[in-house]
Amino acid sequence: MTAVAMPARPARPSHAKRNASLLAAAAVVVWAVLSIEVDWTELADVPGGIGRIFYNMFLEKGVDWTYLPTAAEGMLDSIWIAWVGTIIGAALSLPIGFFGARNVSSGLISNVVRQVLNAIRAFPELVLVIVVFIPIAGLGAVAGALAVGLHSVGTLGKLTAEVVEGIDPGPVEAARAAGGRPLQVQRWGVLPQVLPEIVAFWLYRFEINIRAAAILGVVGAGGIGTIVQETINYRRWDKAGLAILVVIVATILIDVVSGWVRRRIIEGSGARRVGGEALEEPEFAGSGAGRVDTDIG
Amino acid sequence: MTAAQEARPTGRPAKPPRSLALPIGVVAFLVITWLSLSEEIGIGLNVGDLIEDAGRGLDIWAEFLEPNWAFLPDTLGPMLETFQMAVISAFIGCAVALPVSFLASRITAPNVAAYIADRSLLSIVRAIPDILYALIFVAAVGIGPLAGMLALLFFNIGVVAKLLSETVDGVDPGPIEATHAAGGNRLQTTRWAVLPQVLPNYVAYSLYTFELNIRASTVIGIVGAGGMGQLLNAQRAFFRYDNMVVIIIELFVIVFVIEFFSIRLRRRLV
Amino acid sequence: MIRFENASVVYPGGVHALKNVTLEIPDGQMVVIVGLSGAGKSTLIRVINGLVPLSDGDVTIDGVSVRHARAGELREIRSRIGMIFQTFNLVKRTSVLNNVLLGRLHDAGTLRSVLGWYRPEDIEIAMQALERVGIVEKAYVRASNLSGGQQQRVGIARALAQNPKIILADEPVASLDPPTSHVVMRDLQRINRELGISTIVNLHFLDLARVYGERIIGMRQGELVYDGTGAEADENVFRDIYGRSLTADDLLGEPAAAPA
Repeated sequence: MTAVAMPARPARPSHAKRNASLLAAAAVVVWAVLSIEVDWTELADVPGGIGRIFYNMFLEKGVDWTYLPTAAEGMLDSIWIAWVGTIIGAALSLPIGFFGARNVSSGLISNVVRQVLNAIRAFPELVLVIVVFIPIAGLGAVAGALAVGLHSVGTLGKLTAEVVEGIDPGPVEAARAAGGRPLQVQRWGVLPQVLPEIVAFWLYRFEINIRAAAILGVVGAGGIGTIVQETINYRRWDKAGLAILVVIVATILIDVVSGWVRRRIIEGSGARRVGGEALEEPEFAGSGAGRVDTDIG
Repeated sequence: MTAAQEARPTGRPAKPPRSLALPIGVVAFLVITWLSLSEEIGIGLNVGDLIEDAGRGLDIWAEFLEPNWAFLPDTLGPMLETFQMAVISAFIGCAVALPVSFLASRITAPNVAAYIADRSLLSIVRAIPDILYALIFVAAVGIGPLAGMLALLFFNIGVVAKLLSETVDGVDPGPIEATHAAGGNRLQTTRWAVLPQVLPNYVAYSLYTFELNIRASTVIGIVGAGGMGQLLNAQRAFFRYDNMVVIIIELFVIVFVIEFFSIRLRRRLV
Repeated sequence: MIRFENASVVYPGGVHALKNVTLEIPDGQMVVIVGLSGAGKSTLIRVINGLVPLSDGDVTIDGVSVRHARAGELREIRSRIGMIFQTFNLVKRTSVLNNVLLGRLHDAGTLRSVLGWYRPEDIEIAMQALERVGIVEKAYVRASNLSGGQQQRVGIARALAQNPKIILADEPVASLDPPTSHVVMRDLQRINRELGISTIVNLHFLDLARVYGERIIGMRQGELVYDGTGAEADENVFRDIYGRSLTADDLLGEPAAAPA
């Protein structure tokens, strides 16, 4: 090989844009730390405070096991709230989701429906319960269930619409070509493709709603939230510790069972997404988040 | 040959036995639902009562429909606090979540014990809703944004670590093999073969967490953990529905604006 | 000198991937391994740097046992062995230079490498490796923006950056088109001759094997069934190794262009 002139080594590229963004982000964080009205010297007391509470709840006298029936009842209330709320959400979101899908309903209708769903989604269950449902149904579990249900319609409706939009048009075309009426086309051409994924969404929503239901208890909408709040307010630490344990155990159990069922449904159908925050934010779906959960949690 | 077999033309397969799973599942579902709606055990949903009582709500809603815009300046301080809390918690939470998520993925975990311990811990952290954290921390360090930030911190770690560990589970194993073949240790492999693959996702998750924090501030503020939520709760205590509606609308607008930019940014990253 | 002594590998699940292989590869030799998929080629290569653990027997490199090396020793052994993969195994999202620097990880030490504070000497070695394969001008280009042939050359540069005594190549050209395949094989051959690095290559294109293999080893069902020169390996030999007649899929089909 004859000698050729060695190409020159390239210069190091400048990362101006990236560095500027990083600097800006760091500046925002520093500003927040400096400007927030918090006495940072209190940070030193934090471990002590947490340690004390932890000790009071779990170690001083051990948790109060006699409180278990009450706590379990409260947790069960929260589970019912989540259950009813998810059913309401699932039942309503299925037809609404179809209306929100561009390929099934018209472009205009689907747009309007999606905007309405977005508006509903924007309100956390807590706000819905305070503003809408406690005034109607009074304090208690019913208000909680309705709030969870309405919010779930928003989220599930959006996800259903997206799944429907993502279907393979082949079977739908075949159903139409065979002379099927619109409802039949939906039932036999679209539904079989999307049902497993949608049911998986319902189950995942149920898992999230358990947490939402626990939260609602704090404003009097029933459930374990009320119990945790009261036991903490009245400084009944051993009872509070038990209530928290109940929440943890029940939530993990439900997550595991629900996750198992979801996996069985999805594996049987070969659909893509299963769960995780990827459901809420579809641009995360391709990143691997939300794939089939592996063992613990 | 049984009569059934004789009747069927040869060559056709027998109908597969119906699995019991579906009927059992449906029955279980109906039972649970019925229980959940019942008076004694469940929540006591009585649609008749509901429709009757709906009238009650109208008075309150009337008040909600008259926002007291003069209240707006009073909301600015808490709004700023919500924002500050969201930033700080997201920053620290995401920083802590990075090593936690590496331990929670089989690919980057040093050994099985650490993996199981980490995943169990993560399950527990995620099983507690943000409000319960807020209750605990308010009891531990007192009312105010410090408790709120601590609560958001744990909440954030749970969310980001789960998302990130699942992403790590899905990385291309090729560069990992190449790094091992070149004599790299686990830390080096994580830094140069895994991290570059998940970094854009990580940034997206961090932005998402910030968004979640803003939304969560309503919720945790209700128990005294600072920000707009605390203001909301104060107004609720005085039945100032006209002020509450202003706060809610403000939150709605803020979340909408942040979401708008955040979704675009995240889409460009992932 | 690489020495196999009754090396055997049984995968969990019972697959007997290597059966009692005994073999010696002197320093500086270029060896091509051929055989059907599943014949044990990949396993043979991967027991040399311990990516696949041995079930029985041993592999020693200059007398040091690979099978009994502890974690730190194994990394030391691997740092002197460069490896090239069929799918290149580059970190797609980062620059070519960062990919080549993966070859400096062991020598640079954990602290420096994790923080990215490579010494100028390390950067220099990486740049020289890129120059040797002729793509230094792409040093700061994102790896995913390169063509297949260019990516494989980055892979070779990464291996060179380790200052290796041995280079292992697992089907390095299977994903490349014929002209590029010849370019890459010629690069490997040149490196072997100029730098005296022992080179062991898995190939499934038999015409390539004959051209570039100074020594050819045939594997069938985990056993070593042939060991001879490229010149001696004719169609009959290959038929023995493969256990069947040759097909068009076994040949690259395109002869090398005249060397520049």
